[in-house]
Formats: sequence, structure tokens, C-alpha cells
Amino acid sequence: MDYKAPLETYSGKVAEVVIGKGEKALKIGGESVLPFHFFEGKIENGPRLALEVLDAAPTNWTEWECRPYKDVLSDPVAWAKKCLDFGADLVCLRLVSTDPAGANAPADKAAAVVKQVASAINRPLIVYGSGDETKDIEVLTKVAEVCAGENLLMGPVAKENYEPISKAALDHGHCIIAQSPLDINLEKELNVKLLKTFPSERIVIDPLSSALGYGMEYSFTIMERTKHIGVMFGDNTMQMPIIADLGSECARTKQAKENEKQGLLWEGITAISLLLAGANVLVLRQPENCKLMREVIEGKI
Amino acid sequence: MVLIGESIHIISKDVNDAVKERNPKVIQDLAKAQTAAGADYIDLNLGPAKRDPEEVTQWLVDAIQGVSDLPISVDTLNPVAMEAGLKACKKRPLLNSASGRTDSKELVLPLAKKYNTDVVISVLTDKGCPPDIDSRIESIMETIALANELGIPNEDIWVDPIILPVSADQKQVADAVEFIGMLQDLMPGVKSTVGLSNVSNGTPDEFRGILNRTYMTMLGRRGLYSAIADVLDEELVKLNRGELPNIVDLIYKTMDGEAVDLGSLSQKERDYVKTTKVLMGETLYSHAWLES
Repeated sequence: MDYKAPLETYSGKVAEVVIGKGEKALKIGGESVLPFHFFEGKIENGPRLALEVLDAAPTNWTEWECRPYKDVLSDPVAWAKKCLDFGADLVCLRLVSTDPAGANAPADKAAAVVKQVASAINRPLIVYGSGDETKDIEVLTKVAEVCAGENLLMGPVAKENYEPISKAALDHGHCIIAQSPLDINLEKELNVKLLKTFPSERIVIDPLSSALGYGMEYSFTIMERTKHIGVMFGDNTMQMPIIADLGSECARTKQAKENEKQGLLWEGITAISLLLAGANVLVLRQPENCKLMREVIEGKI
Repeated sequence: MVLIGESIHIISKDVNDAVKERNPKVIQDLAKAQTAAGADYIDLNLGPAKRDPEEVTQWLVDAIQGVSDLPISVDTLNPVAMEAGLKACKKRPLLNSASGRTDSKELVLPLAKKYNTDVVISVLTDKGCPPDIDSRIESIMETIALANELGIPNEDIWVDPIILPVSADQKQVADAVEFIGMLQDLMPGVKSTVGLSNVSNGTPDEFRGILNRTYMTMLGRRGLYSAIADVLDEELVKLNRGELPNIVDLIYKTMDGEAVDLGSLSQKERDYVKTTKVLMGETLYSHAWLES
């Protein structure tokens, strides 16, 4: 008797989110099978790789993290271009300067930098605020306004501040990152609230990405369950693509700070794990890992 | 279903203050209100009862019996308080509860025989709450075998599967319904009870009632004998009395997987259907489950 592989068909489909405008536009998600299940259906848009750029020169990066970018660390535009030279699909600009616990830079200054970067590169842009729930309202609504029409992917949008930020994103034509604190029930709750005013195909989920040894298995489980619930069980409040913002989390670990090779592996192993869990976009710090993940995605290793 | 009123609970600040001041009014008001609302038992939850367990328990039992003729469910982890409570009860009380924990088997379970009470036995063991149906069955069968040896018949035993909050573990919530359905085959004659409001612990207050009521109806369908519940929730008592047959019917249909046309239903009916699906584990819970 011939062997016949047991194949599944699924009732749900991940929403296809388009970010960036015109020729820059990039599709994320859209698959109707589980991650890497090429044998059960076509995955039109493979996982996308982003490298991160800070809007102010980093103060706590190790020497080897700075090395690939050493000439451009105080120039976000040049830095972003460098990321694309390293093979990133897109750039993730982190507005660290706006953090009230740090430089507390004003919103309009940060928004001007976003505008410059967005105009200078021929790829879409992800923008993360500092994560301060109150300041992010000011910063991200300003970014949305100044960059109207750029179709940025911006966040984090959280339970505490989703209303003003999602409204600004909607008014000015951007996509948003819905962030919840490693909890699938809270993730769903935020999605349900957002969906009342915001279209599903413009939301990307950030369930938080913890590093290897620091809770990565929680992130893995939540991403995996999100795909199960959205794709296998067809829950349309859980069908958005997922972003794994893991580079900076890995870099914070003791192990990554200890030595170069360990740091590289820490990010690489976390990245490949979250890819398998279902991440549609990875935000990485190290160009070497961007190259490595590309080979993983393309099936070369 | 036999309803055990849950409101006299030491965790409530009012109750705790009343005990400290030995002021019976708050306790007696709660006992009267629950009696009037249709409770069959009054639960007296003393928690660990660390201070003056005998005196406090006796005082509380007397306070309740001063205004209500209902039997009392003496609910404490402290064997000394338990014994004092059972001794003070005029009507045949409910010992709430024994479990598969070693200390409980040694110190609490024998009190049920000594005072000829009904006894709640939970599935808890020394390792905590068993993680799945099989291990719950294993635990409860072992403890019931011991109870039988002590001379406690199945008919006096009320099995408690331990209900977890739906916001914490949806699968266990659905499993408990199945567990209740299996009891009569496994241990003929045993009764059952649950701490119903646990299912909605962690859910915003305004949405707790519908979770409790729906879950009661689902468990009742599988044969649940009693529930420790919020009897001051009028709709819950009405549902239990069979005064809302349409809602019950809708919950049953949803449990059976029958297609229900949400568009033809009222808001309230839709909410019951959505809640049933969440409690069955069919849709993922979130605090906004009624909004999607």
C-alpha cells in the first residue's frame, strides 16, 4: 500500500497586512497553513526580517554590536540604509530618545526623524515608541500625522493607550502593532477592542518576545496558540500576523553581554524558535543573524 | 440543584470586621438575605481561622442560627474550628471540606463520621490540584474508598472537582463539566458540589454573573447536585428553579453544537450563547468575550 501523508486543511487564514506605500509596499502574513507547513499549502509571504535602528546613538550596546554600524550610529538615515545593505527586508526604528526616563525628547523632533528615515529608504518602516504608555500617545500620534500616507507599521499600541493611537493611525493611513503582556487572553481582548474601529488587515500582533532562558517558551507558546486559534479554529479576532521584536531582548541578557559568539547565538536561537512558533516579522539587531535567518527561511540550512 | 449561599466569607472586609468586633448584625443580615433569596444552606467560610478558632466558630454558628433555620455548611481548613462548628450546628451540617491531602484525611474526614454529617470531598491532594480528568478521578476514588472504610456512605459524600477561573485555565473549566458527568458511573450514589463563583474569579465584576449562571446550567445538565453560589443573584436562583426555560434550552443547544442563529436572538440570549462557547473551550476567553 502506498504511503499517503496525513495533510490538514484549515478553516482560518492569517490576514495579509500591507505596509509601506507604492513600490515600497511589503506584504506580511496571509498564510492559511501553520508556520512552515509548505506541504499543506502555499505560503505566499514568508517571514520578513527587520534590523533595528535607534533614533539616538546607543549608550549600552557592546563593542561588537556597534561594530557593523560604527560610522552611522548617530545618523538614523544612514543607519537605516546600512540595514538594507545588510539584506533586511525592512527597518525598525526605535524612538528611544523619547523615553521620559531618558532624554525625553519631544514628539515633533522624533516625528521629524521618522519622516526623514521613511523618505530616505525604499523599504517600509516599522516604528516603535519608547513603550511609555503616556508618552507614546503624544509621540505616535505626532508620527502618524507627520508621516501621513507613508503606511508605517507603528506601535506599541496597548490596552492603556489604544484609542488615541489607533485613531491617529487610521486617520493618517498607517498600520499598528497591538502589544499585550505575554497573555493570550489579554491579546484577544485588545484585538476585540481594536476591531470595533480598526480594520483587521492593518493590525500586527506583538505578544512580547522573551529571550532564550528568560521566558522564550512563553512567547513561543502564545505565538503557537495564536496560530492554532486563528488558522485551525478560525477565530477571526486572532488572525493577525505576528511580530517578534526579539533582538533588543536578547541583547539585554547577561549571556549576550558576556561575549560576542554567545550573543550572536542567543539572538539566533531565539529567532529561529520564534520563527517556528509562527512569527511573520522578526526584529533583529545583528546583521549576521539576518543573513542566517534568510537562509533558514529559504530552506538553505 | 441545592444552593449553598456563599456570602458569609471571612475574606469579605465587612464579615471580617464583624467577627473582630463580635457584632452579629452584618452576619445575620447576610444570613437573612440569603435565606429569603432561596438558599438551601448557608456557607460559613472561616478560611484558616487562626485566632480563637473554637470560640469564633461557635459564635458565628450561633449568630446564623439565631436568624435562619437553614442548615450550615461549615467551611474551614482548620480542624479545630471545623469540629467546634459541627458541634454547634442544630441541623445536620455539611462539612466543607475534606480532601485527598494527608492532613485532611487524618484530621477532618473522621469528623464527618463522628458528627454524622454530609461531607464535601475535593480532588485536592498533597501535590495540589490534579492537572487532568484522569488524575482527578484517581484522587477522588482513593479518598472516597477511605471515607467508605470510615463508615461514610457514598450518599453523604459531595464530590468537589475544584473549579478554576476561566480566565486562568479554560481547558480545566470544560474538563470539570465532563468530570461531573462521569461521577455516577464511577461512584454510584455520590453527590457533588462546586465553588461556582471560582469560574469567574479574575473576570471584571460586571461580567461575573453570566459566567456563573451559564456554568451552573451546564454543570446541572451533567448532574451536578449542588453549588456554593451567589444566591443574591436573582437570575441565578430563577434559572435554578427552572423559571427561565428559554435560556436553559439555548445553553443546551449550544452545548450540543446545534447551529444557533445569533441574529434572531436578544442581546441577553446572545450573551448566554457566547458564554457557553467560552466555557466549553470552543472560543478563546478574553475579558471582552461578550463584545466579539
